[in-house]
Amino acid sequence: MMAATAKLRGDGWLGPLLIAPVVVVLGAVIGYPLFTALALSLFEVDTPTLRASFAGIGNYAELLGPGGRFWPALGVTLVWTAATLALQVVLGVAMALLLNRDLWLRSLARSLVLFPYFVSTVVAVLVWRWLFNDLFGLANQGLMALGVIEAPIDWLGTMPNALLSVIVVGAWKFFPFVVIAVLARLQTIPESLYDAARLDGAGAWGRFRDVTLPQIGEVLGIVVLLRAIWDFKEFDLIYLLTGGGPVDATRTLPLTVYQEAFGLNRMGMAAAYAVAMMIVMLGFFVAYRLAVRGRS
Amino acid sequence: MKGRLARWGWSLFAWGLILLVAAPLVWMVATSLKPEDEVFSLEPALLPEEPTLEHYATLLTETGFAGYFANSATIATATTVVVVGLAVLGAFSLARFRYRGRETIASAVLLCYMLPSVVLIIPLYLMMVKLGLANTIASLVIAYTSFALPYALWLLRTFMAAIPAEIEQAALIDGASRMGAFFDVLLPQALPGIISTALFTFILAWNEYLFALVLVNADDVRPLTTGVMTMLVSGFNIEWSLLMAASVMMSVPLIIILAFLQGYLVKGFGAGAVKG
Repeated sequence: MMAATAKLRGDGWLGPLLIAPVVVVLGAVIGYPLFTALALSLFEVDTPTLRASFAGIGNYAELLGPGGRFWPALGVTLVWTAATLALQVVLGVAMALLLNRDLWLRSLARSLVLFPYFVSTVVAVLVWRWLFNDLFGLANQGLMALGVIEAPIDWLGTMPNALLSVIVVGAWKFFPFVVIAVLARLQTIPESLYDAARLDGAGAWGRFRDVTLPQIGEVLGIVVLLRAIWDFKEFDLIYLLTGGGPVDATRTLPLTVYQEAFGLNRMGMAAAYAVAMMIVMLGFFVAYRLAVRGRS
Repeated sequence: MKGRLARWGWSLFAWGLILLVAAPLVWMVATSLKPEDEVFSLEPALLPEEPTLEHYATLLTETGFAGYFANSATIATATTVVVVGLAVLGAFSLARFRYRGRETIASAVLLCYMLPSVVLIIPLYLMMVKLGLANTIASLVIAYTSFALPYALWLLRTFMAAIPAEIEQAALIDGASRMGAFFDVLLPQALPGIISTALFTFILAWNEYLFALVLVNADDVRPLTTGVMTMLVSGFNIEWSLLMAASVMMSVPLIIILAFLQGYLVKGFGAGAVKG
């Protein structure tokens, strides 16, 4: 009896106690830094000396103003996000449909498709920069051998090639996420739905449109939102491929934050860009929560 | 007859597309095995004519690669142990207890999981300088928990919530304590999920670049990601075969995971990534 009451009392604080370490750690590595970032965004701070002077909303006024780079960077970020995401979805759904059928060596096929997603961005970028090499890269040599182009193309140093290259490499790197999520859903679609459609005389396209697409719609919606958030904040891939260049043509918001802080040594301004970017992302987050709630 | 032909055609088409996706990786391995004159050739062959391991030997003996590799192994292992340890207890709490603030914490974790690292990088940099941790392995492990812990917690919570509570309740009725039931009943059932989470965490930490770029600029603590990039920048001529060898070596843990533990990765996708 005593043991039982002690256990019940124990239950009262055991739950919060178990989550407490997580709350403390996340408070230290996320909560406090977020608060610091908000505060920093109101100051002018020189990165090497950390000398600071209060600027109020001066940083925000500047970055949103005519000389500021917020709107152009947001534009680049949105173009990159929308384009690479669209490619990821098309490629991802197509590949999922292929992998859902009987296939020789299916496990090996799945490994090869998953590889780009899990491989380090550094590795992915090194390989693609080698492929994009002006004289000895496979991209130029292949296209020249096929007669598509006559002279080597500068894939990363000129526009619009740089932006297109970044978008394609991003699609290659991240589409497996769509494949796995959609594949898992495809495997739960009952075969009877397809049989019924076949009886109604639906062709392959008709079956895809009337059976597959509605069935994977929900999963696809969540996947698109998640990938939209992740593509929006992507830093490594773009930074390592083009560094934001030529000039600012591929400089997305995350790259702008980094450049302000550690290239131009304006830490306060960088924090202001970061906060502005987060406000945009908050919109994505709200959309995600609403979508998930609508589903359940 | 027609059915079988169609299936053959389908498989061929599918494999064509898969090989196209895998082509950059095949090229990476091929380049790493080619002698220098085959690499810089205007009529390159897909496969090396005289395969050589010289670039791997150079990589291990004449560059800082082995040191970077050891640093990455230490950082990723430490991050995984810390994060999975904290997340297993936290996920147990979120999945099996009722208390005020639980839903708020769960939402906050999801919010953290979507936060861009670039927002945290400046304050964390200042924090590490103030704590005297700049340029240490510890600074990276601490920084990595900022993205790995929310991820692991979210994944594990989903795994644990999917395990029926009945057996645990039976154990409690038989007189087990909450923690006793957790260790004896829930933990064994959650093991596949824990392995999956640990693999994801390890890969995330192994691949991280931005924090390593900002928080560490000493060669003896640098992990592979930033270390290999300095090899790209520091050379006068870019030695692509050497960099491709480095890329292959850097991917070895991943290749092992994909070859032997692929099921766990796929399971993690289904659980954490798509369910909210």
